[in-house]
Amino acid sequence: MPRWKNPFRTRNDEDYDKEIAFHIDELTQANVSRGMKPAEARRQAILEFGGREQVKQQLREVHSSRLLTALGFNLKSAWRFARCSPSFSIAIILILAFAVGANSAVFSAMDAVVLRPLPFPDADELILLGQHDVKNRDANRFVAPVRLEEWNRMNSTFQSISGYYMDDLSETSGPLPEKVTEAMVAPRFLRVMGVSPILGRNFTPEEETWGGPAVVMISYGFWQRRFHGSPDAVNQKVHVGGFASSIVGVMPSSFAFPNRDVDLWAPSAPDAPFAQRRDSTWFTVIGRLRAAMPLAEASADLATVQTQLGAQFPRTDHDLIVQTTPLKETVVGGVRDSMWLLYGSVSLLLLIACSNIAALLLARTTDREHEISVRFSLGASRSAIVTQILAEVLALATAGSLLGLLMAAGAARAFHLLSNQLPRAGEITLNWRIVAYSLACAVGTTILCGLVPAIRGTRRQLAYSLAQTTRTQVSRHSPLQWTLVAVQIMLAVTLLTGAGLLLRSLNELSHVSAGFEPSHVLTFQITGSWGETAEMKTLVQRIDRTLDGLRSLPGVDAAATSGMLPGVPALYQFEFKVDGRLDPNRKVLADSRYVSAGYFQAMQIPVLAGETCNQGTSSNDVVVNRSFADRYLPGTPPVGHQLKGATYNDFQPQGTIRGIVADAREEGLNTQPVPTVYSCFTAPNPFPNYLVRTRGNPTEMAEAIRRRVHELEPNRSVYGMTPLQGHLDEVSFENRLRTLLLAIFAGSAVLLACIGIYGTLNYLGRLRQREVGMRLALGALPRQIVTRFLLQGLRVTGIGCAAGLVLSLVATRLIDSMLYGVSTLDPTTYGSVLLLILLVATAASLIPAWRASRIELVQVLREE
Amino acid sequence: MTPLQKTDLLQGTLDMLILKIVALGPVHGYGISQRIRQISKDVLNVQQGSLYPALHRLQKRGWLVAQWGDSENGRQAKFYQLSREGRKQLSREEETWQRLAEAVTLILGAAANQEA
Repeated sequence: MPRWKNPFRTRNDEDYDKEIAFHIDELTQANVSRGMKPAEARRQAILEFGGREQVKQQLREVHSSRLLTALGFNLKSAWRFARCSPSFSIAIILILAFAVGANSAVFSAMDAVVLRPLPFPDADELILLGQHDVKNRDANRFVAPVRLEEWNRMNSTFQSISGYYMDDLSETSGPLPEKVTEAMVAPRFLRVMGVSPILGRNFTPEEETWGGPAVVMISYGFWQRRFHGSPDAVNQKVHVGGFASSIVGVMPSSFAFPNRDVDLWAPSAPDAPFAQRRDSTWFTVIGRLRAAMPLAEASADLATVQTQLGAQFPRTDHDLIVQTTPLKETVVGGVRDSMWLLYGSVSLLLLIACSNIAALLLARTTDREHEISVRFSLGASRSAIVTQILAEVLALATAGSLLGLLMAAGAARAFHLLSNQLPRAGEITLNWRIVAYSLACAVGTTILCGLVPAIRGTRRQLAYSLAQTTRTQVSRHSPLQWTLVAVQIMLAVTLLTGAGLLLRSLNELSHVSAGFEPSHVLTFQITGSWGETAEMKTLVQRIDRTLDGLRSLPGVDAAATSGMLPGVPALYQFEFKVDGRLDPNRKVLADSRYVSAGYFQAMQIPVLAGETCNQGTSSNDVVVNRSFADRYLPGTPPVGHQLKGATYNDFQPQGTIRGIVADAREEGLNTQPVPTVYSCFTAPNPFPNYLVRTRGNPTEMAEAIRRRVHELEPNRSVYGMTPLQGHLDEVSFENRLRTLLLAIFAGSAVLLACIGIYGTLNYLGRLRQREVGMRLALGALPRQIVTRFLLQGLRVTGIGCAAGLVLSLVATRLIDSMLYGVSTLDPTTYGSVLLLILLVATAASLIPAWRASRIELVQVLREE
Repeated sequence: MTPLQKTDLLQGTLDMLILKIVALGPVHGYGISQRIRQISKDVLNVQQGSLYPALHRLQKRGWLVAQWGDSENGRQAKFYQLSREGRKQLSREEETWQRLAEAVTLILGAAANQEA
């Protein structure tokens, strides 16, 4: 093996040579001046100086670092150790690679999604502000433009407040209309976000007022797509929604707010005539706190502001309060619990891997007793040997972690594919934080796995060890090893129970009857602009015309529009007056949904009484579901009653009940149907969801539908074309993903626990070869030996299972809110988990037990 | 006088002598060995085999600072200089040496008195 080289050695050596040469030269010089001949003078000088190489070696030793030398030695011995038992080393490296890799992967997602602030400067100062009507339970928190301006003017705790709303429009400069997503932003938008354009400029105050120049800022993606990143893009025009606007700026690629799809930002003037009503709300409002301002103080400040407005405008503002939520919370709040659950599980997995490796190493250090005692007797200190063993483990752990890092890198790429379902998935990258985390994992595992075996392995008395030339004794290490195995089983049982409960609830969900039929329905949207709502009649006619055109297509059974997709959670609750009466003791609260004629036919929701929406009728017809009728109108025929929103608001649903339909799980398959009022209205917004029931496969109809829409509306574009089932899958995606991942972790945990049982029993079998061989020779039956070993394995499994059950009872409470139709104490799940563990533990014990019973005494004796 | 063998030098004494010589001004290894010999009137003759390791050890401890420069006859030589730490160390060692020497003298004196 090549000697480990100090890279600085050659350079130092030259210096030593020079210094020594100078000394000899000076001595020569002195000799010459004493009258010697030059050659003789030099010979004498060299003689006087003495062993040059010895001096150099001494200098090297002075400079060589003891730490480096020790490290070099330990690394060398680690390499030797790893090489002399390759299968053992590979097993450890692979176990660690998997455990550390999975852990780093989940950590990278956790870090990017949950831990890191949003990608804006001082993002913690950004707060989402919503107005909330205390009398209504509706989830709408949009804010009227005038109110936004008042909040901005009257508060003293925010740097500034701005807001946005989204339009899905068509850009018509090209040969075909292209769907673009435009964010209409209130003044001060970029100041609040803390971001500047990379090219061009922000909006001027003039452009942010009514009647000012029509301007837009474009996203980096749009800039690349349309202008190929040319700097000439600024001052060019885009034709959006029938207007031509000048481009004034290009935003950086990192700026994807309000969402990744946004292409354009355009100012929405607060002084526009249509923006003056206090009850027409549309802005999602974001404020930037003053530096170091506590949120509680800001909330109190805005509450005061709103109280003043309530006194000033009692009719519209009296019942409103301001809700404040950190912006990050609104982005990642939904997935945080799942993230922590996965991170916790994958950390348990790492812990299992550690205890597994610790057990394997314990067995191995026992095998090396002889080597260790020889080294002791040769004068090695205990700390030196402990360090050496730790270095060996560290080398394995580092190798495992590096492999694991590769796995995490692959996972980061996989996460990017989930960007539709996982917020901020695009920000997941393998950065130095993840690398540092993995290496920390390696060091942590080294200490966890290596320290116990190292200390254990070096504790024995030298004389005692050397005296034990035969290894017939039952190792005193085994209680510790069995404890580690029991811990592994305990953790595996816990993970498996969690995964089992999630799987069971997924299974329950798949058997739920939705109340509507999601298959064979194609959904899409057609671009439109909020500006069209000024001419409601024209808008309704346009959409009705499109629906008629779709219905006449061969292969289409029904077509309808709806404000929200069925089965996609978007609870929008209102309080209603029935026949003009308001009973203060019995609030009539119901989910409000807007649907067009043909909706119940398209969704196959049965009509129980009366009739449903008719095309062309005014928006004064409503249909209620059975829950509504049963709860609020019991004992009377519901048809014919008048419903009206309980608070003042022009945009409240109202009308006469025309019919009753069956309950459907409109708010998500995992949510019980709630009382619902369906208002018959084709155009709740300019780009409602189209729902087309097809006779065949819905995706095969996509092209025909696109062509038909293009015939009817050549200047509009169709977007978001997906079967309804796709939307439902997306809703349940997080649930399915976390269930799948947890199941994988639990499966790996069980596998590791099996390796633990197998490895420990196998090792014990080898240790007791002689004893077993002796027993067999004295007439014991192999069956008895097998039973003994098996029972030993099963006893530990039993203890592990019992502890695991207790731990599960506590741990599954954490996932209570993620379960559907299954209790956290579900006996089926617990029973199956125990059965599964017992089965695999028996299998894992049988092999080494059987092997132990096949010992030939003669062979054992010969080997020893 | 006959030169003392290097083994006769007390452990640690060489370090002190080097520090003392270097304290007089920047000097190279050859210069140090020459001065020790001259000042001790040929009693002390430091072997190169001990001189250079000692120099490098002191340098590594931060008591000496080394720099390549031109010697009196214009050749490249490595010059050693005392650092602030080295100056402190020298005064500490001088003090220890004084006390040791006094103690040894006292004992030798007492022994001589008793013999007398």
